[in-house]
Amino acid sequence: MKMSRAVANGLKGTIFLLIAGCAGNGEGLDANGRPIAEGTVSIALSADFQSIQDNVFTPICSVCHVGGGAPMGLRLDAADSYNLLVGVASTEVPSILRVKPGDPDNSYIIQKLEGHAAVGARMPFGGPYLTADTVSFIRQWISNGAPPAATAAAQSAEKFGVVNVVPDSSEPVSQSPPQITVAFNQELDLSQIDPQSARIERLDPQSGAVLEMLPARVAVPSANHKALLIWPTHALSPGHYQALMRTAQPAGFANMSGQTAAFGAANSNGEFVMSTFDVEVLP
Amino acid sequence: MKLRSIVSGFALLVLGVLQGAPAEAEPYLAVQEGYKCNVCHVNPTGGGLRNDFGITYAKVLLPAETIDTKLDAWTGKVGDMLRVGGDLRADWTRNTAPHTQATSGFDLEQFRVYGDLTLIPDRLGIYVDEQIAPNGSQNEEAYVRYGSTTDGFYVKGGQFYLPFGWRLQDQTAFVREVSGISMTTPDKGVEIGYEKNAWSAQLDFTNGTANTSGTGHQITSQAVYTKSYWRLGAAVSMTQSEAGDRKVGALFAGFRTGPVAYLLEGDYVHDDSFPGGRNLVAGLAEADWRIKKGHNLKFTAEYSDPDRTVAEDQQTRYSVIYEYTPLPFLQLRVGYRRYFGIPQSPTENQRLILAELHGYF
Repeated sequence: MKMSRAVANGLKGTIFLLIAGCAGNGEGLDANGRPIAEGTVSIALSADFQSIQDNVFTPICSVCHVGGGAPMGLRLDAADSYNLLVGVASTEVPSILRVKPGDPDNSYIIQKLEGHAAVGARMPFGGPYLTADTVSFIRQWISNGAPPAATAAAQSAEKFGVVNVVPDSSEPVSQSPPQITVAFNQELDLSQIDPQSARIERLDPQSGAVLEMLPARVAVPSANHKALLIWPTHALSPGHYQALMRTAQPAGFANMSGQTAAFGAANSNGEFVMSTFDVEVLP
Repeated sequence: MKLRSIVSGFALLVLGVLQGAPAEAEPYLAVQEGYKCNVCHVNPTGGGLRNDFGITYAKVLLPAETIDTKLDAWTGKVGDMLRVGGDLRADWTRNTAPHTQATSGFDLEQFRVYGDLTLIPDRLGIYVDEQIAPNGSQNEEAYVRYGSTTDGFYVKGGQFYLPFGWRLQDQTAFVREVSGISMTTPDKGVEIGYEKNAWSAQLDFTNGTANTSGTGHQITSQAVYTKSYWRLGAAVSMTQSEAGDRKVGALFAGFRTGPVAYLLEGDYVHDDSFPGGRNLVAGLAEADWRIKKGHNLKFTAEYSDPDRTVAEDQQTRYSVIYEYTPLPFLQLRVGYRRYFGIPQSPTENQRLILAELHGYF
């Protein structure tokens, strides 16, 4: 009886630990747990937005403030944080901006981080709280006018546009392409992309009439926010095709600075033709 | 790695050996006693204001020592129609992490007050949960309830916590962070609930905690089957939001053997707000050993995989918490928590020592 109880207890303990599993060894990952191939580079904390993103928002805040369940709708992942922070009214106290450029004392984020906001708990929730030094860098960034990341600011001087589309009409492909890749010269504002909006149409080569509409998916690879991928959910048979998708902005695709680049005029559905291409049969 | 082995070994040792102690609850109290949440709480999904039995439990059954004072007469009732209660938690924490300076300090974690106004007995009521400190007042829950929360159907309308998995006291538990549904994220909408015999079930239609622009919604459902020695629950939640759709599922269970209550939960999340979508997983295993009346030793082991497609990014967390309830309405908690994650991240490898004073009524 004692033996069976010991075995049962041991089993429970083992199950307990098995469920807990083991932590990752971090091989091939950056400090935020993302693959190094994604191109993120760890930089020391400074009063630059990218540095604050990499050292504070991504590793600490976006544990909770991310995705479709982000508290107060505040997503603090790299793709969304700037647009949802700077000049945006806080949800808890709408009369106060989350980040008011030039005025850290009246920026809700500072009040939440320092624990004197009018509403709710100090952040990060449950602690550990950010050190005064860390908060001082965020304060300084806001005092500096809360500019976007230095790299984004440099890029904003360059006109945003498309640099390549593969495949396109210039060269037929010999088999169904796994994806249509559209490369931009700057990072895309992911919040403006509707992942459900892509589709592929098979066209009559002579008249251009739509013969068949095929579902497709769209994504921006986490490793490269300058590329847009549209892939058909089924292999494409030989024929003439075009890939279409919508954006949240009628003017076209937006970069992180709000500049837009369109693919000609949108059709009556608000869709842009991303690529026109031919799939041929191998000889 | 060595320390992890020591922690794991210690947990195994305690779980495996100490259960021979004399036989003799948060959700672990419910599991230890075999109660449904509505046995002790006004809110049928648990937490917050205690009902008559919950107050009696807090006065008599939970503390190490009962005292003969005017507290004996306290039932939480103020007149025939109004019931009030509250929780105050103050703590001291010391946090250390690799390559960073240790921090420590006192904090008022929360002071909350609850009120329940019974307009028609067993049929119609208004419930309010207000956090009044720290900082300014913040409404957590405020809803109208119609129907029976103990035997049959009920409907809630207003702002309330969503029913999803174990309603843990620790809102930073991986399963609560990954699911995004906890007692930090009340939502506005309606809930239809069913309480009958061993069954508790809820269906919620709400705005979605991430939807602040009125463009989405969240549907959440949970069912729990409770028996004296065990219980099993399942929960699902689907959020349509401007950020991207999100689906969350959880299976959770509890059982007890002698003085030890076990809580298990596994959560799976698919979030389309990330490019290409992302799958996340989190798990919780908790054991609560009631050493003797008023003394509880809690062990938790947790697991989180923030992206199933990325290898070696998993995190674990282990806690040992001793809870001492010397007197009615007073609890002391001390504990140690150790995080294990990728070595590049100090945050994922922090250590926390905590001491908490919890007063409630």
